[in-house]
Amino acid sequence: MAESKLEKFKYGLLKLIDVSGFKVFDPVVRLVFGEEPRKQAGEVLKFLVTPVVFVLLCLGLWTVIAPRHKTKSGEVPTPVEVWDAGMIANTLNERENEKETDFALSGSQREAEITLVQQLLAEKKKQSEQLKAEAEKVAAAATEETAAAIAPVQKQYDELKAANKGAKTTRSGEIKKLAEAVAAGSATAEKLLQAIRDDNLASDEARDAEKELKDHMDEIRSNPPKAVKKTQLAYDAAANEVQHLSKRLDYLQKGNRSQKVSQAEQKTLAAMSKLESATTSSAILSAAKSVVQGEEKAARTAEQSYPRTATIWFQVRRSLFTVFVGFVMAAVIAIPVGIMCGLNKVVMACLTPIISIFKPVSPVVWLLIFQIVVGAFFPDPESHPLFVFFGSLPWIGELGVNPALVFSACTVAMCAVWPALVNTALGVSSIDKDHMNVARVLKLGLWSRLFKIIIPSSLPLVFAGLRISLGVGWMVLIAAEALSSSDGLGKYVWDEYQNGSSHSFANIIFACFVVGIIGFFLDRIMIVLQRSVSFDDGAAVV
Amino acid sequence: MALPALEIDKVDVGFGPEGSRTEVLKDVRLKVEANEFVAIIGFSGSGKSTLMNLLAGLQPADCGEVRMNGQVVTEPGPERGILFQNYSLLPWLSVFGNVELAVRQVFPEMTKADRRAHVQRYIDMVSLSGSEWKRPGELSGGMRQRLSLARTLSMRPEVLLLDEPLSALDALTRANLQDEIIRIWEEDKRTVVMITNDVDEAVLMADRIVALTPGPEATLGESFPVTLDRPRDRTTLNFNPQFKELRNKVTRYMVDINQEAKMLRKAVDVSLPELTPYDFTAV
Amino acid sequence: MLREKRAWSVETGKTDRTARVLPKSVLSIQASLISINPFLLEFAVPSISILDFRRALSLSVLVLLIGSLSGCGEEAPTETAADPSASEAPEVAVAEPPVDPPPAEPGEEPAEPGEEMAPLDLEKDELKFGFIKLTDCAPIVIAKEKGFFEDEGLQVEVIAQPNWKQLLDNVITGELDGAHMLSGQPIAATIGFGTKAHIITAYTLDLNGNGITVSNDVWAKMVENDPALDTPTPKHPIPADSLKPVVQEKLDAGEKLQMGMVFPVSTHNYEIRYWLAAAGIHPGMYTSEDIKGFTDAQVELSVTPPPQMPATLESGNISGYCVGEPWNQQAVAKGIGVPVTTNYDIWKNNPEKVFGVTKEWADENPNTHIAVVKALIRAGKWLDETDSDGNLVNREEACRLLSQPNYVGADFDVIKNSMTGYFFFQKSDKREMPDFNVFFKYYCSYPWYSDGIWFLTQMRRWGQITEAKPAEWYHETAKEVYKPEIYLEAAKRLEADGHIEKSDIPWDTDGYKEATTDFIDGLEFDARKPIEYLNSHKIGNKD
Repeated sequence: MAESKLEKFKYGLLKLIDVSGFKVFDPVVRLVFGEEPRKQAGEVLKFLVTPVVFVLLCLGLWTVIAPRHKTKSGEVPTPVEVWDAGMIANTLNERENEKETDFALSGSQREAEITLVQQLLAEKKKQSEQLKAEAEKVAAAATEETAAAIAPVQKQYDELKAANKGAKTTRSGEIKKLAEAVAAGSATAEKLLQAIRDDNLASDEARDAEKELKDHMDEIRSNPPKAVKKTQLAYDAAANEVQHLSKRLDYLQKGNRSQKVSQAEQKTLAAMSKLESATTSSAILSAAKSVVQGEEKAARTAEQSYPRTATIWFQVRRSLFTVFVGFVMAAVIAIPVGIMCGLNKVVMACLTPIISIFKPVSPVVWLLIFQIVVGAFFPDPESHPLFVFFGSLPWIGELGVNPALVFSACTVAMCAVWPALVNTALGVSSIDKDHMNVARVLKLGLWSRLFKIIIPSSLPLVFAGLRISLGVGWMVLIAAEALSSSDGLGKYVWDEYQNGSSHSFANIIFACFVVGIIGFFLDRIMIVLQRSVSFDDGAAVV
Repeated sequence: MALPALEIDKVDVGFGPEGSRTEVLKDVRLKVEANEFVAIIGFSGSGKSTLMNLLAGLQPADCGEVRMNGQVVTEPGPERGILFQNYSLLPWLSVFGNVELAVRQVFPEMTKADRRAHVQRYIDMVSLSGSEWKRPGELSGGMRQRLSLARTLSMRPEVLLLDEPLSALDALTRANLQDEIIRIWEEDKRTVVMITNDVDEAVLMADRIVALTPGPEATLGESFPVTLDRPRDRTTLNFNPQFKELRNKVTRYMVDINQEAKMLRKAVDVSLPELTPYDFTAV
Repeated sequence: MLREKRAWSVETGKTDRTARVLPKSVLSIQASLISINPFLLEFAVPSISILDFRRALSLSVLVLLIGSLSGCGEEAPTETAADPSASEAPEVAVAEPPVDPPPAEPGEEPAEPGEEMAPLDLEKDELKFGFIKLTDCAPIVIAKEKGFFEDEGLQVEVIAQPNWKQLLDNVITGELDGAHMLSGQPIAATIGFGTKAHIITAYTLDLNGNGITVSNDVWAKMVENDPALDTPTPKHPIPADSLKPVVQEKLDAGEKLQMGMVFPVSTHNYEIRYWLAAAGIHPGMYTSEDIKGFTDAQVELSVTPPPQMPATLESGNISGYCVGEPWNQQAVAKGIGVPVTTNYDIWKNNPEKVFGVTKEWADENPNTHIAVVKALIRAGKWLDETDSDGNLVNREEACRLLSQPNYVGADFDVIKNSMTGYFFFQKSDKREMPDFNVFFKYYCSYPWYSDGIWFLTQMRRWGQITEAKPAEWYHETAKEVYKPEIYLEAAKRLEADGHIEKSDIPWDTDGYKEATTDFIDGLEFDARKPIEYLNSHKIGNKD
């Protein structure tokens, strides 16, 4: 009995793995349940261990090759550096979380936190000072070292320059003499021309030699010892932490919400007493106004929320929401239109030119068009009911629904609509003739025919189309956000590119993985959906 | 004389534009009496399915008429239940759902409880009880055809059209299903037209066998009444001289018309170039 | 009372904006329709597709319209229909909501010296400001990070913008309340060069801070042409004379030297033009047809957003650029170019960025505007704070803040170079430039009319202003854009609060700086005589 339960669980698990498209883990589960260990182990080795080893090999190759490829923006980051950059991005997110909590803290909790942060701050400050001193020491040493390394080259360079200069003067003198000789008729013009040519050649050579030395010096200068960068980074990290802690303290004390509220309340009280003691009508009026103003201020402050800085995870959430909105828009357009196209050849003929022309248009063009068009429909975005509504929703409200989101979503929809539309049309038009015969024999009306036969039978293809659409939409969105600086992962990447800091390159690669992994999971979700509606149990293409 | 339940009257069916037209069926005439079981037997490619589509109303006749109880057939309908060769089940619906879809459409006034009972009855009738919630994809070929049969029967058609219903099945399943169809038909008599390419099957099941001559321009040939007593037992039938004689007669007829057709075809054949095989051994 | 007033002002703003925006949207849709039609005509079924397309378009427009109109109340469309002129002069029509006090004397009562002023009655306390990733956005970032905005009761979001055009568009559409702007932007927008909108400024963010960088290749040729440059620390300022043969060589090869600047009306454009023209190199004229400014050019200047400058230089599309920090230091750090001169050498203590808002916004939120300027003045003062030895004490912290990825985001070291008073001209050439970034000294944050007039003369000089204007026009336009009265009101309140000294502010100025000859070519600029100044240049328009 127990065993059959276990079996049931096993097959349930296997089915789950199969449906979610992670069939590679099938042998692992079987192995765990002790089914044909030898065979399953072989499978695991072949299809799980080998790929993992391969990926590790790639990472290793990356680690080895990256530092060898020097760009003007620095070395290509290694996997470790990319990981560190990701961790820094995550730290920034955590810092925002901390500040957000601090902002909202009140009462004894706040007091406790203040003591804690003050303590931390003192520690960190000390550490930061130490690190700074060390970094300066190392930097000074490095400067000396560099100077020492350069000095002989510089000397060589100066000597060479002086020698070249001397040679040049000599040559010029000779040429001058030769010219005089030509004038006197004791030498041929040929000889003079040759001398000038030789002189130019010699000058060029001399310059090249000088340049080589100069480049060498530049190279020494631009390659300070690794220790400098390391200590500098350590100091930077500590100094950033100090900065963060002092900002936290600020949010716990002066910038704290409860503090601000009580401040406003005190002001109101003061104004109240002023009102009571006032005698002239103008003073009464002014005091009364202050009271009301104070009250309103207190009420508004109490509702204030911490103005978060967009961190990577926020951008991920916003991108996901945007792509979802765009995808839904695409589906809402593509499915009915696709069905009409599939059902009616005339409709198909009408739409074909439109589809053919617009399908290959670059998302960038759509973005610009929507940016212009959408902007015009929301003259006052902040008080537009649509945005006010979205702003008031939990979760979504935080994401900042604004016209930028709308046009990004429109761009996504515009590019994602085509695969879904074409696939839906195909699914509807390629419906099995037998199924249609059944409908005819049963004399199904238009709607029952649509909902009982046509749509169910084309669903697998529709979902296949939607899956492509979502993939396209996700790619398009990142580009659109980067171009329009509308919040989202694309903007994150673009901002990093623009920052041009030493972490930027690694951060961009980190974001590249984040985009890829999210895209992968979106695709998996669509596969699961697609398989849940497909009736032929056809394996979805991975 | 009562009107024939089903009548094909001088029907031609063809395709292609005028001038280079290919006639699939030419001058087809058939009368089927009420509650008669007629088997139409023919070679593959002779237009059997076209004939069936014609009867079902899925395909119009180019000239001539198909009548049911004197009414001209112009479109398909549930009163002429058709059992397709490839089952035509809706794969996204369960066994129950497939039958229910038909029942709901044909008897819209039925209450929910009645409908359930009705559906269940037909599922039970074809011995699919217990598989109500399976999808067609999970059923074997025989079970699928049974389901198809249940769906068709659940519409309570006046005429049952069987389009080579068993040809895709293996011999054992086939025999099984033949018996089942006959049992159901005997329980609840109605007009049946069955198309088949199996003489034994035709003799076993039908009241009358009509031959379809090979296409193109196929038409109905001789008709052989089957006077064997019912119920017919397939185990003893093989030793029945009447059965054997009829079977041989039909088979011989079919072979003959086929040869005739081949000869006819040969007459219009293009003459082939004369080639003599080169004898390499002579070298 | 507060809410009522807010509601009212928001509503007026809306109808006005709708009036302005709606016709534009219709126009753009028509334009897109026309541009798409020819494509459709190539198909065999043009009438159907066009009809379809049109219907689809009008449908989608309708849907969107319904969406937007539902937010605008019912008067919006009728107003557009009834009063087409509203689209032309909306600012005048609803310039001042009657309830609000005029910006010149906000607050509840006129302030009396020595007495505490009534607190500002803020119309809006959650604001969004835009900036470009340049170190001179510092006052805005500092005002936020050091809590100066918070002290005024403002909650401010500071959002990076991708380029100057989008920044300006976002301010105009109301997406942003205000922004870090190029000095030329409010002026150009107000006179209608580029996007037309009445933008004003009551605060100058900084002086100097730009540099001209050329590629290593061009620098090598310049050194060849002028042996005096062939030392590790050449004498400054470096004029463009040694660049002239390089330009000529290119011209002889049938090409033009390409250089980058950040925006047609940016300080950088005028500075690099000034530098080139001072050496007799023609940087090209703008005309009504040639809005790229290539007419007669010996060097072609094209627009590239600041953060992309180093990459564009590296890719060889341009041979040099004029840009703000940290993008010159970045070129040195990456070893891709050599900064030849800073704008401090081109014009000592030239105005650089301003804080701009739309006139409409300022009229709706006069008290908020004053509060913002108050916070900015404090930020500016904090940035230029020095100890007794004259060392800038807060700059390092400012660099730390600016290097956060949501602000400038460049490495701390790179930002530190210029912000703390040093400038690397080459890796081997580090010089002290104490005035490279000035945020408060020299009364620099005051919105000087004379600054506006200099930009106007440059716009006229290079043909961005296509016709001759009388001197009076220069003064009037400058007064339309620069609003010292708001600045002074903010300063008055800060002085009363004890945040600034009386000596920090030029209380009694008429808004014109003294005439100066601190230019690379030694010409005299007297803002009171714009036409004379214009005519003193060799290259460019003369009136």
